[in-house]
Amino acid sequence: MFHVLYIEDESDIGSWVTKDLTERGYNVTWLKSGEDVDKYISNVDIVILDVMLPGLDGFSIGKRIKNKKGNLPVLMLSARTTVEDKIEGLSFADDYLTKPFHPDEMVARVEVLLRRFQKNDEILELSHLGIYTKDMKVVNNNTGGEIQLTGKQYYLFQYFIRHLNQILTKEQLYEGVWGETYIEGDKTLMVHIRFLREKIEENPAKPTIIETIRGIGYRVKA
Amino acid sequence: MAILLIFLIQIVYATIGTVLVRITENTNDQELTDYDAIEEKWQEDANHLQNISRVQIHQHFIKWKQQYPKASMFWVDESGFLAEQVGVHDDLPSEWSSTFTAKFIKKRYGGDPFTVITFIGKNEMNGFIVLEIPRSTFQPPLQKIYSHYGDILLIVVVLTIFLFITISFLFFRGIRKRLLQLQEAMMLRDVDSLPLQIDVKKNDEIGQLEETFNQMVCELRESKQREREEEKLRRELIANLSHDLRTPLTKMSAQTYSIAKGNITQETKQAINILETSILDIDRLIENLMSYTLLMASKYKIERKEIDIVRYVRECLASWYPAFEKQEFEIEVELYPLENNKWLVDPVWLGRIIDNLLQNVIRHARSGQYIKVKTESADRYEAFVIIDRGKGMKNASNEKGAGIGLSIVDMMVKGMELEWDIESSEHGTIIKIKKYK
Repeated sequence: MFHVLYIEDESDIGSWVTKDLTERGYNVTWLKSGEDVDKYISNVDIVILDVMLPGLDGFSIGKRIKNKKGNLPVLMLSARTTVEDKIEGLSFADDYLTKPFHPDEMVARVEVLLRRFQKNDEILELSHLGIYTKDMKVVNNNTGGEIQLTGKQYYLFQYFIRHLNQILTKEQLYEGVWGETYIEGDKTLMVHIRFLREKIEENPAKPTIIETIRGIGYRVKA
Repeated sequence: MAILLIFLIQIVYATIGTVLVRITENTNDQELTDYDAIEEKWQEDANHLQNISRVQIHQHFIKWKQQYPKASMFWVDESGFLAEQVGVHDDLPSEWSSTFTAKFIKKRYGGDPFTVITFIGKNEMNGFIVLEIPRSTFQPPLQKIYSHYGDILLIVVVLTIFLFITISFLFFRGIRKRLLQLQEAMMLRDVDSLPLQIDVKKNDEIGQLEETFNQMVCELRESKQREREEEKLRRELIANLSHDLRTPLTKMSAQTYSIAKGNITQETKQAINILETSILDIDRLIENLMSYTLLMASKYKIERKEIDIVRYVRECLASWYPAFEKQEFEIEVELYPLENNKWLVDPVWLGRIIDNLLQNVIRHARSGQYIKVKTESADRYEAFVIIDRGKGMKNASNEKGAGIGLSIVDMMVKGMELEWDIESSEHGTIIKIKKYK
């Protein structure tokens, strides 16, 4: 069970989010201010932080948390939607969600963050594949055998899993995996995606796991 | 320093002038230079001569000769003979006929040498005496000084002029250098694109100019600072307002969500759907109103940089794709490299433009179930185009929210020196965001 530290001064919203997250199976600690956040951060998995707080504001608290524990994911929650706020928030936080939000969206983002920080030792079931997200072991459930991914295929698939449900453009994928600027017309990525599909798809001619979004890029949907 | 040198030169000139005047005055004391005075004195002396004899005339001549060394004198007696002469160089006839005398007088009148002819004594019985002084003796004093001290004077003057030119050159070069430095310093800009203060080294006129410039810079900075504070205040105010409006919205949204989770009838479900949509509409309207206010007051920060437009549009579309997918839109994307992919725009602004346009498609053109985004290259412009098959701008809006969103698009497009146009009919809408070549 994941432990969420939630900091929110608005009691109506606070109790609602706490209730919803608890119902979804999270263990929630709700604080009304960030003064003694230090006591909690050592044994939580993620922090959800409101920006407008009495006393120390959310930005300062978030920075403090990140200084003390850089690998603790922080999701900023704010009713302030100006670009400056978002930029300031994202300069240290891992995601930024504006109010009003739908709880489904919040939970989706929490899950993405947990996966990104590999807190999630889950087995992701994607059609016939079982994926151990922490060490990226891929098992074919039909045969029971493990699928061995080589170098770049491994990183490419890991990149997809970390950005589950997100449409990734060629540029984003290339730069995320290869760490170099994408040059228009480069076929490297397409070649690697074809190899990857040959290994993981049941029918590489009709891929179901790595979806092609025409004109935009690729997506792996949970 | 330079000014001191200029003073020095002035002093040198003054000294030369004084010396010249002094010399001239001395000369005046020594010699009578006035023709009239000489003539008068010659006549007076001649009138006073008595007991005319050769010896006496001779003595008279010698006396004058001492005073005017260059003068020559002679005496023609009553019978027309040349009786006595002193210092005469010309050949004079020993016998003076009346014709020759007349000719002589005519020749010398107003000529050179300066000649005075006068009778001796009170009557004309003793003949006449003649005084000749070369006119060159009467040169103006300066000329005389020139002939005496000419070389020294020339050297002094040349030296002085040379000194003057050198000093002037140094002086003006110094001034020019400092003015150029000043100009350069004035052109320097700080990171905030304001001019920098100048280091004032000397307290002369240029130094004072620099001082004034610094003062101006100071004032400029202060006013800029005030402006920035005002801007920040306004931004803060709007951000807080937006926050305060959104908090109750979030609560409303939370409550509707809680209600929706319970056991509810189909009717309640519908009501909740409408509530949720309205909450999102209000949220969007608040957002647009804030942006509009900031844009109208030109307080919306713009930071233009070169970005790959095709890539950017594609990434925006990637984030919007699920929303269209959910509404079961047919999505067509035809983004190809343009002639020049680099557009000088503010990515935040451009994102806002695309968001507003795509949001409008979802909200107002849902009936068409179709969206196409493509690039377009024409002779004069390149563009990206958003096409839907909705009922068109005029017919679409049972909600009027599109207006303010489009105003924001308009302001932002123009703010980034791009163009846009809308073609809308009942079969759909085509919006082009264009960059002219």
